[in-house]
Amino acid sequence: MDQIVFIKYSILILLRIARLGLKHGPIDMIREIRKYDWLWYLLKVIGLMRRMSRGRTGLYREAICLVIYTVVCSIGELLEGVFLHSDRLIMNEDMVPSEIARAMGLTTWTTEVLGILLPMLDPTAMEEYIDASENEGIPPDVCSLPKSTMGMALKGKLPDVLAIVASNLPCDGGMMSYELIEKALKAPTYRLDVPFNFYNERATRYFADDLKKMIAWLEERTPGRMDWDRFSEICERRNRMAELEMEIWDMIRTRPAPLAAEAVYLPHLWHFNITAGSEASLKLYERLAELCRKNISEKKGAVRNEKYRAVLWNPPFLHFLDIFNWVEQTYGVALIIDSMTYNSLPIIDTSTPDSMLRGMGNIIMQGPMARHTRGPAENYLDDIFRIYKQFDLDMIWVAGHVGCKNTAALNGVLREMCREAGIPLLILDYDLSDPRIVTHEGMITQVEHFMENVMKAEKLS
Amino acid sequence: MINTDCKTIDYFHELLVEPQNSLLEQSVEEGLIPIGYTCSYVPVPLLSADRLVPVRVRAPGIAGTEIADNYLSSVICSYTRSLLEFAIDGRYDLLKGWVFVASCDHLRRLWDNLTYLKKPSFNHMLDMPHKTGQAGEDWYIEEVRDLAEKLACHFAVDTGSAMIEKSVRGYNELLALLRSIGELRMKERPPISGSDFHRVIMAAQVSPTRLIVPHVRTLLDEIADGDGEKEPRARLMVAGGELDDPEYIRAIESQGGIVVADRFCTGSIPGLEAIPLSGDPLEDVARHVFRKTMCPRMMEDFDTRVEKIIETVKEYRVDGVIIQIVKFCDIWGVESGSLVSALRDAGIPVLKLEREYRLSGEGQLRTRVQAFLESMGR
Repeated sequence: MDQIVFIKYSILILLRIARLGLKHGPIDMIREIRKYDWLWYLLKVIGLMRRMSRGRTGLYREAICLVIYTVVCSIGELLEGVFLHSDRLIMNEDMVPSEIARAMGLTTWTTEVLGILLPMLDPTAMEEYIDASENEGIPPDVCSLPKSTMGMALKGKLPDVLAIVASNLPCDGGMMSYELIEKALKAPTYRLDVPFNFYNERATRYFADDLKKMIAWLEERTPGRMDWDRFSEICERRNRMAELEMEIWDMIRTRPAPLAAEAVYLPHLWHFNITAGSEASLKLYERLAELCRKNISEKKGAVRNEKYRAVLWNPPFLHFLDIFNWVEQTYGVALIIDSMTYNSLPIIDTSTPDSMLRGMGNIIMQGPMARHTRGPAENYLDDIFRIYKQFDLDMIWVAGHVGCKNTAALNGVLREMCREAGIPLLILDYDLSDPRIVTHEGMITQVEHFMENVMKAEKLS
Repeated sequence: MINTDCKTIDYFHELLVEPQNSLLEQSVEEGLIPIGYTCSYVPVPLLSADRLVPVRVRAPGIAGTEIADNYLSSVICSYTRSLLEFAIDGRYDLLKGWVFVASCDHLRRLWDNLTYLKKPSFNHMLDMPHKTGQAGEDWYIEEVRDLAEKLACHFAVDTGSAMIEKSVRGYNELLALLRSIGELRMKERPPISGSDFHRVIMAAQVSPTRLIVPHVRTLLDEIADGDGEKEPRARLMVAGGELDDPEYIRAIESQGGIVVADRFCTGSIPGLEAIPLSGDPLEDVARHVFRKTMCPRMMEDFDTRVEKIIETVKEYRVDGVIIQIVKFCDIWGVESGSLVSALRDAGIPVLKLEREYRLSGEGQLRTRVQAFLESMGR
């Protein structure tokens, strides 16, 4: 049965890729592949699904395969926007959700999407772009995600767009990268400004005003026109997605968790950041909630032998997602939740345009990662301990991305606080997009040392 | 090369040897309240109001940052790590409070770690917008008002309009003197070297205005009509990140060039223009600080910053620009990539140098500068 699930989704993925080629026409498609040679990487998606589903069974396997299939569908739609609707195409930074632009009837391409997606498909995918960026004078110590994106812009691998919307999120490196991207793409850029202190009415008002200015700016430069009814529909669907996600969170609090790892973080990473409020994204969350409920009713855990429950802080290991599958099967560690998924204020009041902008503004300012990398240390640290309690966890993993100076500067405090609270903490050194910095073997060794020396765990037979 | 009386310059040098100098100690004995700050977006005249004294925080002579590295990690810029190390060592214990600006990730996290480790009784963070438009300016003015209230409340000082106006007038006097000295660098043979000028600028930022003004005036009187002894090998401009050590500029000038202009936050261009008083002095201060500080952390302003450098190059007849960035600074790291291209496109020779906060690798620095001068045919 597990094999059938894999075959079913493999066929669906191939059909979706074929549909893209047929819709665009084979000759045009060949032209696009020559321009965007990274399209070849997309063919590795079945390999990714094989790796992610290896050893995982039942509804957990189905959920992972389904999520990967929906990501393929979604990237297919984004590519259709690039290939077929470039007259309405804008680029949005990953921390600036595309909901407003979509409500304006624009097609969107998230600037960092390839920097997030391609390393999952091929760990070495971003190396040439990182090198291109460094050769242009960008210091090697800048975060490798903006470096990858800048490299892609410099090498002409990003689509031509009418305009770009960016922000001062999530960090100085990310914010500054748009200085170069704007010049490389020769596209006008609007930048949203999130205040340092954003948990107050003054910030909500300031940011909602900024969003209004962004809409007016886009209306001046693109054929997009704000359709508040369409925006309301998108927000309603987004709200529904958030409710379903919270229901899933409630369910994964139980031991053993009915879903874990890629079935929890990947849908949020993709569907809340890239296509939130779309019908396809809502449908995925409805199905994930169903699978979760079913496992709960049958008292089945996702991870076959859940011995430990972990939270991952900071973005997942993009070029080594396999590590979660490996640690599940080696030590029985289930990744229950992560900082990129944990949203603190997900519901938008859709009663008026103003309330929607305020709600969307708060989602941007207070969203995962955004609130952790801006504002005082409490924003970052308090969430960790809240989640640890809420999800009944046994350990904290911090993805210690060497390029993330913002969070590295809190590791010392976090270490002391965890020691005081008696919470096992693993700060796993690696680089977000560049496996040359710390190899996969090096990452595994760090986990082994932690599991054996701190957790006193033995490998499962 | 320089005609200045060594004793006057030596005095400015002495004021920079320790993080807190004799003039500051004298003020404290007189009952003044020293407040440390780390960024040019801090409204200095507000911190000079009534019994307050602003002190730009530095870590002169820092030898290592072993303890700070445990907290801030080794991938944070060495300026912030050095400050934390000094703070942990108690080297800033004279300070009664701190005012930070949310200017970059590194300084924000320094503020977090300082709060956690030292728990200063007054440790304020100014919420600085990243945009230079009207909305950002209005936001910043509100922030400055809030800071004024908090200072008044915490230290029982007067931050009312009359007091701020008095402080601005005193500050403007200092700025005028510094501006006059700075403009002497436009001369064919400047009577003051870049390193000595930087000593004066830094001394002014770490000393009480009232006490430093007479010394700056003396220096101006001494050099106003003088000229440098010989024609410099090249006229240089230094731009880039935080630089509070004049010895770095001395090392640059050791190859025969002279630094005649600067464009970094602890320097002089832009920033020495008088604060215009037009009504509400606090608002005047906030508006002035918001507009004159040209830090690359401000989004959407790259072209203005490039224009300012090109304008300065022409005004001071600069032969080449040296961009110095503190390692791990993301803001200047990325900015400098685009800046180098933009200046070269404008036909200006550029040398980009990455450095640590404390002066190190001086031999290497001299070699790079020498090669740069040779590449310009000097």
